[in-house]
Amino acid sequence: MADQATFQSDVEEFLPQLYSAALRMTRNPHDAEDVLQEALLKAYRGYHTFTAGTNLKAWMYRILTNTFINKYRKKSRRPTEVELGDYEDLYLFNRLGQSGATGGAERSAESEALDGIVDTDVKAAVEALPDNFKIPVLLADVEGFSYKEIAEIMDVPIGTVMSRLHRGRKALQKALWDFAEERGITGRPA
Amino acid sequence: MKPKCEHTRTQVYSYLDGEMRYFGRIRIWWHLRRCPPCGDGYVFERRFLDKVRHDCTENVPQELLDRLSTFLSQQALDPPGAAPAAEE
Repeated sequence: MADQATFQSDVEEFLPQLYSAALRMTRNPHDAEDVLQEALLKAYRGYHTFTAGTNLKAWMYRILTNTFINKYRKKSRRPTEVELGDYEDLYLFNRLGQSGATGGAERSAESEALDGIVDTDVKAAVEALPDNFKIPVLLADVEGFSYKEIAEIMDVPIGTVMSRLHRGRKALQKALWDFAEERGITGRPA
Repeated sequence: MKPKCEHTRTQVYSYLDGEMRYFGRIRIWWHLRRCPPCGDGYVFERRFLDKVRHDCTENVPQELLDRLSTFLSQQALDPPGAAPAAEE
């Protein structure tokens, strides 16, 4: 059982990461702060139910994710569960390799082309993913949680986490490829 | 595409995430060393995930962190069990 008196000092180190995640979930700073504040309040009030010494970071993300899903997402009227197309493995690598954007000769050329993708496009592509794919991508790729931890945070089976994460990443690559084509950096006419 | 390449490509995320059992992991590791196209694909995916992590991590403004800290301090001063303030 955790002591409510130490809540603030216990969770303070996670605030920047929690805010980053909330920002990607809600897609704007005002709602991100709102969702995070409500999650902090719930966590504070329920802190006596947290078992001290277990995974506090995962516990906080579970509360943040639930707060987002229950409160914010209903308000935003976005559909709860959306299906995504299943794109081929190594989607972006294959596209960049075929497009001529890489020059073709260098072994690391696809990776160099990757550096040409701007961070605002990456953020926009992550934010545009349907929530049931975006949350596993955020938890794994930005926060570094394991499949088992994500399964516990989202309360879904590990197989579901794996499938949504892998498909979410490929959809993210497809979106980035589409951005790159629009910007004409793929070697093909836009 | 050779079956080993196809298998490796379907497993590349589980491999990168450190979510494979020992023998499966060794099989992928061995193939990546022997097959340059799959090895390049693996390096690309690793760099892609590094990029996502880097690009999606925000520099959180200090004033926002201060606001959240103040909010938390206020909760501590006003514990949930306390009687609600009289109104009207």
